[in-house]
Amino acid sequence: MLDKFGEKFAGVPAYLRDWIKTFRGKITIICLILLSALPFANPGPYIMGIFYTFMIYTIFAASWDFLAGFVGQVSFGHAIFLGVSGYVVAYTLRYIAFIPIWWGWDNGILVPVIGIPINWVTALLLGAIIAVLFGMIVGVPALRLKGPYLALGTLAMSLILYQLFLMGQLGIWWEGTFGTELFGTDGLGQVPPISTNPLIQYFMIFLIMCVSILILTHLVKSNLGTVLKSIRDDETGATASGINTTKYKILAFMISGFFAGIAGGLYALRFSGVNPALFQPLYSFYAIIIAAVGGIASISGAALGAFIFVFLGEILRLLGDIPGLEGFGGFVEPIFIFSIFLILIIRFAEHGIMKPALERLQDMWDLVLGR
Amino acid sequence: MSDALVSFIIYGFAQGSIYSLLAMGFSLVYGVGGILNQAHGAFYVIATYIFYTSYLYLAQFGLAIGIILALIITPLVGGLIYFALIKPLKESHVGIVIVTFAFAFFVEQFVKIAVDSIYHNMPLLIPGTFDFFGLSVDNHYLLIIGIAVLLVVLVTLFINKSKLGKSIRAVAQDSEAASLMGINVDRILAYTLVISAFLASVAAILYVPEDFVRPAVGWTVLLDSFAIVILGGLGSLPGSVLGAFLISYARSFTNYFIDPTFSALIPIVVIVVVLIVRPRGIFGKKEID
Repeated sequence: MLDKFGEKFAGVPAYLRDWIKTFRGKITIICLILLSALPFANPGPYIMGIFYTFMIYTIFAASWDFLAGFVGQVSFGHAIFLGVSGYVVAYTLRYIAFIPIWWGWDNGILVPVIGIPINWVTALLLGAIIAVLFGMIVGVPALRLKGPYLALGTLAMSLILYQLFLMGQLGIWWEGTFGTELFGTDGLGQVPPISTNPLIQYFMIFLIMCVSILILTHLVKSNLGTVLKSIRDDETGATASGINTTKYKILAFMISGFFAGIAGGLYALRFSGVNPALFQPLYSFYAIIIAAVGGIASISGAALGAFIFVFLGEILRLLGDIPGLEGFGGFVEPIFIFSIFLILIIRFAEHGIMKPALERLQDMWDLVLGR
Repeated sequence: MSDALVSFIIYGFAQGSIYSLLAMGFSLVYGVGGILNQAHGAFYVIATYIFYTSYLYLAQFGLAIGIILALIITPLVGGLIYFALIKPLKESHVGIVIVTFAFAFFVEQFVKIAVDSIYHNMPLLIPGTFDFFGLSVDNHYLLIIGIAVLLVVLVTLFINKSKLGKSIRAVAQDSEAASLMGINVDRILAYTLVISAFLASVAAILYVPEDFVRPAVGWTVLLDSFAIVILGGLGSLPGSVLGAFLISYARSFTNYFIDPTFSALIPIVVIVVVLIVRPRGIFGKKEID
């Protein structure tokens, strides 16, 4: 039995085996097992909901961190991708049966004959593709901007979209022309969930999160990642070495937009609706705080950051409900606490709290094992 | 003259003077220290809420106490931010941007919790109206224009003529050389934040009675000031005054002749267009780097 297992283990590529043997690898495997065991413990819709949110924010923050931590392009408007993709997913799922890709003549009228049926998978992909397009739209002007300018420029772009989607008049016009809802403060509701079975829904989101994190970590380690990091560290030097920084920066924006778009689509599916608030700076702030807690320039750190962010947020919300605490209950408002957190982290621990914490944990682990 | 034209002229001018106060401070902080202060809107919010709460709880002393408190506390907060948050992160521009961004969030949430998140009105500082080409305008607008124009002139004189102003300009030109000449660069940078916070709080006190008291106003202020300063050229004081009037008249124009819904979009569109077409703005000298 053990031999058989050993044989199977031998089939695993060497680098993966080595990785599992490291402390980080062990921790990751344990976390993954715990996460996949969770829904079988039947924790109820409340806890499941928290985990959905945690996994969606993980993807979102990882996409921000890819752009900020590895390419050095700090965006304050990452909510653009979240909102755009969320709206695309909600809109297609509600109003569009399929996307035509081939047309034919029927009694002299051009009708679509072949099309891709819309379900949550195709809608999510479509949302992510539109987000990639927006990544290009944001990325091209952003090439001329650096550092703080980029941050404020992207912030401005997200606010344009926020104002546009808030406009009631635009909503009335759209409804009159196309007969569907899109703009306006109410947003789009009644989006069907991924599945009514919470188990399927959980594992779908879980799978998407794992694949996204895996792809992003691999991108960072690949040749592309090296090129991107060289742009971050010394742009002039990178240009001098013959790297087309323009191309790579736009590419980075598109990749980041893709994953943020996936997160936005999942968000729309999980909360069965979207509204213009999704474009607010608040959501860009979420991505920044999560990435900062997990450590900037650490993709897997986003998972830890999101975990702390979502659960601490829930705990603070519960604290606010405890009778007798109402007097200062307002002050345990999650965003308030997290803004203090972010100030303290950036001020005193720019590299996040995950790396030092892990190192400390590893020391303790070694001590326990007597190494 | 038609009412719309008169309103366009007078309200555009009043808003332009408020904008000048806000943009001058923002531009000064950038021009001297290279600090893109995301907490600029937070100064406006702090001053607004000090003014509002003292109007609520210290009404027996009149409005003056609120004005005095706001004009003292807000600049102190500005100086404090410099020493507590900005100075330690001087090496990392992005760090400053994120930390001031977080501070702006902190202030917004704080006033939401400590006061509330409802819109409030404040009484006018001077009551009554006057007749302006057939349109009845609040006397308060005269006060806005008068004080703002006076302050713009005073700040310009201060920067150009006084000794402190000269050291501020020296730091703006070359902070290393300035520190070799015995100028305490940190103190100068803190002063610029104090001045900027002071100008923002004057703007808040003048404009709030015509506007609303609300926590989220900080973001609008930040974006408007950024749009103005980008248009006029970052770090250029005449540029920010010119930009202020250009943007306020553009907004006023959409308000009275096109559609008020679109007027909120103007600053944002200006930011995007200017950043793409001419990133250094009208009067900007430095290349962006």
